[in-house]
Amino acid sequence: MQIEISNLSMTYPSGKTALEDMSLQMKSPSLIGLLGPNGAGKSTLMKLLVAALLPTEGKILVDGLPLERQEQTFKARLGYLPQSFGLFDELTVWQFLDYMAALKKIPHSREAIARALGRTNLEDQQKARIRTLSGGQRQRVGIAQAILGNPELLIFDEPTVGLDPEERISFRNLFSQIAQERLVLLSTHIIEDIQSVCNQLLVIHEGQIRFSGVPGELIAMAEGYVGVFRERDPRQEAGLQITSRIHTAEGVICRAVAKNLPDFAKRVEPTLEDAYLYLISREVMS
Amino acid sequence: MIGLELSWLLRNRLTWLAILLTTLSPLAGLTVYRPLFSNSESSYVTTMQGMYVANPALAAGVLGAVIFALLTVWSLDRIRRGGMEALTHAAASPLTMAAARLGALFLVSALAQAFTMLAWLPWTVSRLGVIFDQESYLFQYLVFMYGSIPLAVLFAAAVYQMIGRADLSLSLFAAFATLSLTVWRGNWQLCWLNPCVWTVSDDFSNYRILWSAAYMRGTWLAALTGFWMFSCLCVRRYGKGAIGSLLCNIRRIYQPLFAAALLVCAVVLYVGQPFLDHSSPEINYDFLFPQEYLETVTCSGRYAQVRPDPKTGRVYGRACFQLHSTLAQEQNVRFLINPGYEITSVQASGKEIPFMVESEQEMNEKAFVVTLPADPDMELAIEYGGYPREWNLASDSQGALEISNVYMSLENDCLSPSPYDIGYQGETLPGVMDLILPGHMTPVLFGAGTTRLLQENGDGTKTWRMEQEGYHMIVYAGDYIRQEIPVETAGIIVHFYYSRRHEPIMEALDAAEMVRETIEFCTEHIGPLSFYGDGVFNLIERRSDGGGYAGDGASIANELDFTMQNLSNNAKGGSFAQVTIHELVHQWWGLGNMFDPMDMDSAWSAEGLTCYTTYRMVKELYGQREAKTSFVDAWQEAVDDYYKSFYVRHPEYLSALPEKYQKQIAGSLRWIRQYNEMPLKIRKAEELVGGQEAMDEILAGLFGRELNPEYPYLTYEEFLEACHLTEEDLNLE
Repeated sequence: MQIEISNLSMTYPSGKTALEDMSLQMKSPSLIGLLGPNGAGKSTLMKLLVAALLPTEGKILVDGLPLERQEQTFKARLGYLPQSFGLFDELTVWQFLDYMAALKKIPHSREAIARALGRTNLEDQQKARIRTLSGGQRQRVGIAQAILGNPELLIFDEPTVGLDPEERISFRNLFSQIAQERLVLLSTHIIEDIQSVCNQLLVIHEGQIRFSGVPGELIAMAEGYVGVFRERDPRQEAGLQITSRIHTAEGVICRAVAKNLPDFAKRVEPTLEDAYLYLISREVMS
Repeated sequence: MIGLELSWLLRNRLTWLAILLTTLSPLAGLTVYRPLFSNSESSYVTTMQGMYVANPALAAGVLGAVIFALLTVWSLDRIRRGGMEALTHAAASPLTMAAARLGALFLVSALAQAFTMLAWLPWTVSRLGVIFDQESYLFQYLVFMYGSIPLAVLFAAAVYQMIGRADLSLSLFAAFATLSLTVWRGNWQLCWLNPCVWTVSDDFSNYRILWSAAYMRGTWLAALTGFWMFSCLCVRRYGKGAIGSLLCNIRRIYQPLFAAALLVCAVVLYVGQPFLDHSSPEINYDFLFPQEYLETVTCSGRYAQVRPDPKTGRVYGRACFQLHSTLAQEQNVRFLINPGYEITSVQASGKEIPFMVESEQEMNEKAFVVTLPADPDMELAIEYGGYPREWNLASDSQGALEISNVYMSLENDCLSPSPYDIGYQGETLPGVMDLILPGHMTPVLFGAGTTRLLQENGDGTKTWRMEQEGYHMIVYAGDYIRQEIPVETAGIIVHFYYSRRHEPIMEALDAAEMVRETIEFCTEHIGPLSFYGDGVFNLIERRSDGGGYAGDGASIANELDFTMQNLSNNAKGGSFAQVTIHELVHQWWGLGNMFDPMDMDSAWSAEGLTCYTTYRMVKELYGQREAKTSFVDAWQEAVDDYYKSFYVRHPEYLSALPEKYQKQIAGSLRWIRQYNEMPLKIRKAEELVGGQEAMDEILAGLFGRELNPEYPYLTYEEFLEACHLTEEDLNLE
C-alpha cells in the first residue's frame, strides 16, 4: 500500500487550523512513528487518513486513487485504533471481535479472532463481558479489533495508553512484527516506543511536518546540542531546555538541549527524546 | 449487517425487557384502553373478537409503539454516547450502519410481535371458543398492533438522526404520538397510532376495516420511510454537524430523490384513498330527493345483474331500466350511484349514448346524467363497477360495506344505480336482480320480496334471482342459517337468519323459541308491527355496524346484541333469554321513528319502554318472583343509588368538572335514568292507571298512533297524556 498526501490542510469549523499544506508519502512495509506535542495535528491527520474527516484542501491518494472515491474498499483494508473509543459493554470480548469482524467482512473470522486474541494476550478474557475489563484490557481489545484480519494499513492513535510497561513492550514488538509486511502508523507520546521500533519518524508541530526521516537522522541533527551539567545556580538554566534532572549524591545532574550550549555543560550523545525536544524548542524559539 | 446489529441488540437486557413489555401490552386492551364502541353504557360490551382480539391488539399497538420508540432512541443514542461510532465508522459506512440498525430494530419488533401473538393465542382461543378464527386473529394483530411499531421506530430513528439528542427525540415522538391520540383521533388517515376501529365482527368478516387500517398505516409507512431516508442525509459524517453532513450526503442524489418519491407516494395514497367518498360536510337533501319527478319519462321495470368480487371487494354490474318518454326529443335524466363506482357504458336500446358524471358528491351518492334519445320506449342499460365507498362523515366507523368471501353487505346504490327523478309508470315497479355469489353464500333479501336459486354456474358460483318492487334492494350474503319460526298469534312466520358461526350460542339460549314468544307477546299486548308483510317476517342478523333498523317485512338484528357479553349484561335483565327478549322488544320500541334520535340526553328513550315490556314478558313467562328480582328490585337499587349520588344532589359540582369527566359521569347517570328510573316510572304509571291491562291498552294506542310527519317521535308528554298523569305523579323520590 502506498499513501500519498499532498498539500493537505484541515481547518475546523471553529476556525482552528489543525493541518496546513502537508505533503507526505508512506509506503508499506513501514512502521512510521508520529510525534508532536498536544494539539499538533496528529489525531487530525489520522482521522483524515481513516476518512473520519474531510480535508479542507489537498488530497489523499491511496495506491494512486483519491481516498474519497474508494472509501468503502479502503476501510476494508484498514485497522484503526482511535485515541478514545467505546466498546459494546454487554458483549463478551469474543462477541465484540466477532461483531467487528463481521462489520469488516473478514473471511474466516473465527481464526482471525483467535489470532488477534492471541496476539493481544486476551485469550483468558475472551468470554469475559467487556464491562468487567480493566482499562488496560479494554485498550488491548481496541488493539485486537484493529489488527483483526491482518489489514494492510494500521493506524494506532496512542495505543499504549493505560498499558503496563511489560504490555507496552509486548505491543511495541507486535507493531514491529506487523510492520514487516504492512504499513503501520503509530502516534504516541512515548518516544521510547518510537525509538525502539519505528523505521520512520514524522514530527508534526502546529499542523506542519517538521521532520520526516529515520530516527537516527533526527538524533544526528541534535548532535552537539545536548549536554549535562551539575546544577549550582538556577540561573544557569536560562536559555536551556532541560530534559531531565537527576538527583545524585553529588547534587542535581541536569540534561539540557540548546542551540548554544554553555561551556559548563558537557556535550553528550543525544537520545531521540533529546533530539525531538531540540527540534521542537528550536521551532518555538524561531 | 442487519444480522450483526440484531445479534448486538438481542444481547442486551433492555431489548428483552422491551419485548417482554410489548408481549404484556395487550393486557391494557382488556382493562384500561378499550377503544372499540360499547353497545352498553352500563358495562363494556362489544363483540367477542373486539373484546379479546381487537382491543388488546390496538392497545398493544399503542404501547408497543411507545416501547419501541424508546428502544430505538436508546440504542442509537447509546452507540453515539458510548463512542462506539469511532470504531464502527472506521469499518463501515455510517449510512449503511444506520440502515442496518433500523433493520435490526424492525426484526426485534417483529420478534416481539410474534411472541405477543403466540403468548396470547391459547388464552384467546379459550375465550373465543367457536368464534375463534385464526385468520382474523393473525390479521387483527398484524394490522392493529404491528402496524404502529415500525412507524414509531422510523419516526424515532429519523428524528434522532436529524437532531442527535435523545431527550429532544423522545419529546418529539411524544408530541407525534399525542397528536394521534388527540387532535387526529377522529381522522382515520392521520391517527397512525390508534386506528379508527369502531367495531369488529364475530360472525362475519372484517376485511374492509382491516384494509382501511392497513392502508392508513401503509400511507404513514411511505411517509415515514421517506422522512427517515431524508434524515439519513443528516447522519453525522466527517466530524460535521447535521447541516454539514447533509451537504456531504446529498451528493448521493439518488437518496434524496428516493425520499422525495416516497413522500410523494404518501401524499398520493392520502389523497387517493379508495374507502371513503368526498361528500360535502353540509348535507344537501335536494341532491338525493327530488322536489318533483319528471313528467316526460317513466319507468316500467328494472333488472340488474350484479357480480360482487369477494377477492377484491369490488362490485360489477349491469342495470337495465324500461323507460318511456313522452317527449319527442332528447332529454337528460339523472341517476345516483355509490361514489366508488365508475360508469363504463350507457346504452339505450343497444346504442351507446352520452352520459356525464357530476363532480359533486352528497350523502354517499354521486350522480350522473344520461342524455336519452328521442325514442318513446327504450331499454336503458348501464354498466358500472368499482370499490364501494363509505360516507366520509362516518369515517371513524368504517367497515359497513364489507364484501368478502365470508360476508357481503350490498345496500341500495351499492348494488345498482337508481334513477333520481323518474317515477314509476304504474303504481309499483317490478324489480328483478340476478346476483352472482360464491357457492357457499346464501343471500338474504331485506324486506318483502322473493329469493330463489336461478342456476349453479360452472365456476362454483351461484346465480340468485331476487324480485322486489322499487328501484332499491338491500341484500346481505354469507353463511347464513335460516330458522323458520311460526308465530300463530301474529299470523306470521319469522325467518330468522343468523350466521352459522353463531349457531352454538343461538342454540344454547333457544333463540328461536325466544323470538316466537317475544313476537307473540308484543303483538298481543302492543300490536302488530307495521312491516309484517305478507305473513313473513325476516329477522336478519347482520355485521355490527351501527345498530339495527326495520322495514317492510323485515328487521335487522345487530350481531352486537347477540354477543356473549351482551347476553350476560345485567342491565338488560341478566339471563340469555331476558337479553334476547330485550333486543327483540326493540323492534317495537326503538326502531323506525319511535324515539327522537337527536334527544340523546333525555331519560325518555327506547330503553324505558323496552325494559318495561321485557319485565312484563319475563313476568308472564317466568313468574312474578323472577321478574321482581331481575327487574324491579334491580331498578330500585340502581335508582336509590342514583338519588344518593353526589353529582345528582349537587349538579353544580358536575358542571365544574372538566368536560371529559362531565361527559363520563353524565353518561353514567343518564344510563341509570334510561334503563332503571324510566322503567320504574312506567311501572308506577301502570299502577296508577289501573294495572297491566290498562297500561297495555295505553301502550298499544301509543304504538299504533297516527304519526305527525313533522315530528313522528313518541314523546314523554304524549305518554303522560295518554296515561292522564303528570310528571309529578311519577316522581319516585
